[in-house]
Amino acid sequence: MSELVLNVRGLRKSYLSGDRRIGVLGGVDLDIAAGESISVRGESGSGKSTLLNLVAGLDVADAGTLAWCGSADTGPRRRAAFLGMVFQAFYLIPELDARANVLMAARMLGRVDAAARARADALLSRVGLAERSRHLPSQLSGGERQRVGVARALMNRPRLILADEPTGNLDERTGGAVIDLLLGLCGETQTALVLVTHNAAHAARTGRQYLLQDGLLRLLTT
Amino acid sequence: MPWPLYLAIKQLFPSGRRFPFFTAISVLGVALGVALLIVVMSVMGGFEFKIRQMIVETEGEVQVKAQGFIGDYPALVRQIDAVPGVAAATPYAGGAVMIEFNGKPAFPLIRGLDLATVGKVTQLASYVVAGSFSDLDDDSVILGSEVARMVGATVGDKIEIYSPLLIEKLKNDEVFLPREVRVAGILEIGHQQLDKSTVYCTLRLAQDLYGLGSDVHGIDVRLNAGVNEDDGAARLNAVLPAGVRAFSWMDSFSDFLWVLGLEKNMIFFLLLFIVIVAAFSVTSSLLISVVRKTREIGLLGALGGRPPQVAACFCAQGLFIGVLGTLFGLALGFGALSVRNDVVLGLARITQRQEVLERFYQFSELPAHTSAGDVAVIVFLTVSISTLAGMLPAWRAARLKPVEALRSE
Repeated sequence: MSELVLNVRGLRKSYLSGDRRIGVLGGVDLDIAAGESISVRGESGSGKSTLLNLVAGLDVADAGTLAWCGSADTGPRRRAAFLGMVFQAFYLIPELDARANVLMAARMLGRVDAAARARADALLSRVGLAERSRHLPSQLSGGERQRVGVARALMNRPRLILADEPTGNLDERTGGAVIDLLLGLCGETQTALVLVTHNAAHAARTGRQYLLQDGLLRLLTT
Repeated sequence: MPWPLYLAIKQLFPSGRRFPFFTAISVLGVALGVALLIVVMSVMGGFEFKIRQMIVETEGEVQVKAQGFIGDYPALVRQIDAVPGVAAATPYAGGAVMIEFNGKPAFPLIRGLDLATVGKVTQLASYVVAGSFSDLDDDSVILGSEVARMVGATVGDKIEIYSPLLIEKLKNDEVFLPREVRVAGILEIGHQQLDKSTVYCTLRLAQDLYGLGSDVHGIDVRLNAGVNEDDGAARLNAVLPAGVRAFSWMDSFSDFLWVLGLEKNMIFFLLLFIVIVAAFSVTSSLLISVVRKTREIGLLGALGGRPPQVAACFCAQGLFIGVLGTLFGLALGFGALSVRNDVVLGLARITQRQEVLERFYQFSELPAHTSAGDVAVIVFLTVSISTLAGMLPAWRAARLKPVEALRSE
């Protein structure tokens, strides 16, 4: 079996709402190996984004363990190198052009050199935006922005990509193209992928499908 | 370049946009404050510098005086010349006199100069605007320009000088006629008070007018370049005989200089508030920026940015605004200084108050002297205040949790 990229055991998370504590995750277990792709579906408010934030090390679980490639270090510095994130709302920096947005991931690690620039250009070319690399986000369509987001997520050769409803703001055809790109690139680079989506067709294209229900992950297919 | 600095620059100067309004307005606010500080500090410094220049160029940096007269001054001059740091020394004598020309009187101070040595200590000759300093002899005088204007005398005219000795002689029923002398030149220092109260003559003529014999009233001393005036006076006092003391020009004008310094400091303090107000506007703009960019700040966290780095990004924006504002302010300030006299004279001409201006401020031109120390203080305080202005927004940005920031609407 390939190296285990993500190992989650008994992850629990609840939020305080007034006087009441609302449980969101009630003990989630999840293992993902290098090159694997999984999808997580669930109703709105089921805790998909909470799970993603915990896995990304952006939030702290009430209980449970999280390991990236066997290490419990999920700090910011490691996150920059280990993880790529794709967001529903793209979250590109409006003051930077497409190329600079992709390079921003490398900047976080202090690694902007000729090789990094060449990789950013190659990634933009791979996502079909070579001609638009000097365009600002405001000059790009939604699909193009998301493709920049995908290129940025892959910039540091991460071991794991977390995509939080990456097609949520896109039409069906453009969304499909983005998923093609995401799955294709992750496959090419042996990068593990966690895809949170409402779209069953997109979910069906991943290796394993999970449903997040009542705070637990249920495996639907393999 | 670390990403916080890179992003700070990009947020201040976004790619592709022709004119960054937020940056321009913030920089302009700081620049105006700096420009005003530079102009006012330079003009205030100019008064002090000009007064120092006039005193030093007409009397030397240090004056040696006795309680009464100084006898055997050549020996004392030799003693002073031997003190380390002293470049030259020249004796002088003089006091109040009355001059008269065509029935018009004036009451200036006459100063008798030793023509052999005065050129080594003062630069009086360079202030002569009519006639010649070299024409000065025991039968002539050089008039301050305002004195000449008051009595209506020009070069070549004969004027009469009445000294206090004339009154002393009258007490003893002696007749002592006023001294008739030729106007050898007219001198203009540029300070109205000096130009309307000074007449120069030879040392021998002043000694005659005051009945001093071979005594003098004092000795002017010029120091070598780089020697501090107070240090020079202290060195002289260490060797001067009892009853004779050396005073630096700053000692002689200590009250005036203290008032000038106080005015300068007060104006600096008040004008600094312009920079502080500009800094508040920077804080306000950056706070709005933090609110507007909440999700981007969350993104930075998701990409691996740490809170101190996020804070540094906003602090750096305050720093860059401060640095740019200071640079533009310096350019603006020095630009304004270069045309100050045209502006002041233009205003005086429009209001027809040029003469009032000269009478009130003493100078025919608005002086300006910018000291490196003043510029250093202005630059340091402005950049520091602007950087501090970025602290509050930086703190707010650093406190944002990436998860909550990414979720924000």
